[in-house]
Amino acid sequence: MQDSYAVELLNITKNFPGVLANDDVTLQVKKGQIHALVGENGAGKTTLMNILYGLVHPDSGRIRVDGNDVSIRSPRDAIGKGLGMVHQHFMLVSSYTTTQNIFLGHEINRFLIVDRKEAERQVQEISERYNLLVNPQAVIRDLPVGVQQRVEILKVLQRGANTIVLDEPTAVLTPQECDELFLIVRSLVADGKTVIIITHKLSEVKAISDCVTVLRRGRVIGTFLTKDISKEELASKMVGSNIPTAGERTKLKAGEFVLKTKDIVVRDKFNTEVVRKVSLSVRQGEIVTIAGVEGNGQMEFVEGVTGLRKTIAGQIFVCGKDVTNFSPDKVRQSGLAHVPGDRIATGTNFKASIADNLIAGRHRQFPFAKRGWINQKEKRKFSQELVEKYKIKTPNISVSAKTLSGGNLQKVVASREMSFDTPLLVVVQPTRGLDIASTGFIHEILLDMRNRNKAILLVSTELDEVFELSDRILVMYEGEIVGEFTPENVTREELGLYMAGVKRLPKTESESS
Amino acid sequence: MSNTKRLQDFLEKTGGLRRAIISILLAMMIGAFIVYLQGDDPIIAYTALFRSAFGSREAFFQTLTNSTPLIVTGIAAAITFRAGVVNLGVEGQLYIGGLAAALVGVYLEGIPPFLHILLALLAGCVASFIWAAPFQWLRVQFGANELVTTTLSNYVAILLTTYLVAYPFMKPGAPLAMTKNVLPSAFLPRLVHQGRLNVGFIIGAFLCVFVWYVINRSSLGFEFRMIGANKRFSHYVGIRVKRMQVFAMGLSGAVAGLAGAIEVLGTQHRFIQNISPGYGWVGVLVALMSSNNPIAVLPVGILFGALKTGGLGMEAATNVPSELSDVLQAIIILFFAANVVFPSFRKKPTQRKEIEEIAHLEES
Repeated sequence: MQDSYAVELLNITKNFPGVLANDDVTLQVKKGQIHALVGENGAGKTTLMNILYGLVHPDSGRIRVDGNDVSIRSPRDAIGKGLGMVHQHFMLVSSYTTTQNIFLGHEINRFLIVDRKEAERQVQEISERYNLLVNPQAVIRDLPVGVQQRVEILKVLQRGANTIVLDEPTAVLTPQECDELFLIVRSLVADGKTVIIITHKLSEVKAISDCVTVLRRGRVIGTFLTKDISKEELASKMVGSNIPTAGERTKLKAGEFVLKTKDIVVRDKFNTEVVRKVSLSVRQGEIVTIAGVEGNGQMEFVEGVTGLRKTIAGQIFVCGKDVTNFSPDKVRQSGLAHVPGDRIATGTNFKASIADNLIAGRHRQFPFAKRGWINQKEKRKFSQELVEKYKIKTPNISVSAKTLSGGNLQKVVASREMSFDTPLLVVVQPTRGLDIASTGFIHEILLDMRNRNKAILLVSTELDEVFELSDRILVMYEGEIVGEFTPENVTREELGLYMAGVKRLPKTESESS
Repeated sequence: MSNTKRLQDFLEKTGGLRRAIISILLAMMIGAFIVYLQGDDPIIAYTALFRSAFGSREAFFQTLTNSTPLIVTGIAAAITFRAGVVNLGVEGQLYIGGLAAALVGVYLEGIPPFLHILLALLAGCVASFIWAAPFQWLRVQFGANELVTTTLSNYVAILLTTYLVAYPFMKPGAPLAMTKNVLPSAFLPRLVHQGRLNVGFIIGAFLCVFVWYVINRSSLGFEFRMIGANKRFSHYVGIRVKRMQVFAMGLSGAVAGLAGAIEVLGTQHRFIQNISPGYGWVGVLVALMSSNNPIAVLPVGILFGALKTGGLGMEAATNVPSELSDVLQAIIILFFAANVVFPSFRKKPTQRKEIEEIAHLEES
């Protein structure tokens, strides 16, 4: 039993236009194990799993489940073979309840009437069995991200999955939620399930997996027992070269105030106050980070500052100019660039070409536009430069943005905004979904901007990033700043307590001004 | 690149064209069946239709004449669709522009011909710009759906212009509500001795190329395209979405007004009640079938113009009524809109994840 494979992908090759996504990839996953699949963006992890799940058809290669050759033409086939997938972006109907989502498409019927009670009972039963605590009657949009993920896992389990693929499951989770997820994963395995976890966070690989397969540029670099390989070895196998270190950090020069907010109040779309009287300031040559668990008002605060959302009260100054409730174009004109947290709907235009995405915002500026006409040559030159500088993986600059992987989309947004080189840069989760090399690169550019006296407001949930970059750390909890630190005078654990709302500083009238 | 890959690329790039051809063929088949049910010979009917549309120089010129208003209104509709705005008031805007051009043509005397034409065309554009733009302003400011308001605006525009030519500007003693004849100095030059083909067609063809160029190569067009594809993104990168959408509606109105002006100055030489048998509506369909690509508007406009011309000829030559043309037109649009293509060309499985992702986003 120990040596039988739950799933085998043998000699899989898949060619996309311009990209060899999988090149003779073989992945064998033993039954009852947690198998990590690691690699940089575009290494072919997601393609491989999409092949397993029937979303993508390989050019060649075989798939075996429990030792038998199978043909998987669609997710339906995959589900029938006991495979389940939890996508990075959840596929839940936000206005439905947990139970409705889990049974969506195959509701339990009794005389043509949906049997809600029975469904809820079943959800309860599975959720208790695997420690996946959810309220069967809760409406999805009221649930935190971590719980929504549990619903996704329940959905997969309910459909009888024996092998479960988790695609970057921790990308949206807080450290605490990650720990809970790992407990769940362990209980799944204890019950005889097999788990494949796609990630590029090596600490997670070490923490949870039995086995790890490294992919690089569509090829398998190797499969290792997790206990036999160190994080450093894994990292170098993934990147294929030495890991870049973040750039130099010059001594902080206290410059002019570039961003100042005074008692900002913002409401969300349900009209609840999600940002409550936030005052903060960012000076030249300083990176100020808003740390916090996602959904504590950071996003709404940033949207308020950048003009995407109306502020109810308070004032915002950018470069000394009052920009309160200005439209985004006017706020940008006062010297701000913005990498939004939502890279798919806000940060990029899916239907437009990469070049159009990169040039957006400059389309009326010299040399890209002359007398109202866009200079195609300048546009191509500029886009090509950004694609090369940021190593955006794309066959060419005229394909539409929707063909890019998540990490590459992030690079499109980051490269466009960072290259504006404005006095103030507001960045939300700039490295979400990025691999080690790209993360290092983005960090380097942020630090370089800081060293060149730019002001940066960073919103991050990743503690590594917070400690790596910040000159000052503000913690946001339930719409308020509950703590202010420098990286030297706080520990991760301490910060975690503030983020979780367990501790808070007494309210002060004005901070650091 | 392998041959299959090349074929795939080719199929992808020519998707709209393929869809159009298949829709036309299917519609012809159904049309043939209808003719057959009526007891006529489909082959004879279609031969007559084709011959009357393309069979001779005169026929071809007539086809081009008939297609002119369809091309220009098609462009008008395509402009708004590209900017994520729906202008269903093209028909009414055509009336407004036509009347404005007629008034300038009738009452502005003693102006050199070329200048007179320009002024009259310009009057048509400006009047319809001013007429159309406020509807989008109502949308961005108060949320009044432009689809509804522009649709209703047609009634207002048509009845208003009819009133104006029935009373204040009526040609004395005329049997119908119409203006006096436009002065010859404002006539659009004819391109042929026989028939009514005039410079208006050249203007329409030029407009197709010009608008394509504006949409794909100018900063303005860039903003239109970005707004049409993703409003939130456009707002975020600093495009003044509301203002640009109002402007797009105005421009669309101006082009629709130009269609009316061309009809008045080139064909009718006066503004007459019911001057358009629904050109604006067909224009919307032309834009739809061109997938809002201005270059494609030209052939699609000519196709629908040919159906019109051919239908009349067919009615004269056979027992089949000219309404068959309208039936064919409707079926073509129906098939095209329903995206009837060989199943294997439909969404490929690789695209499915994206679609799911997008669906998820739109929902959240």
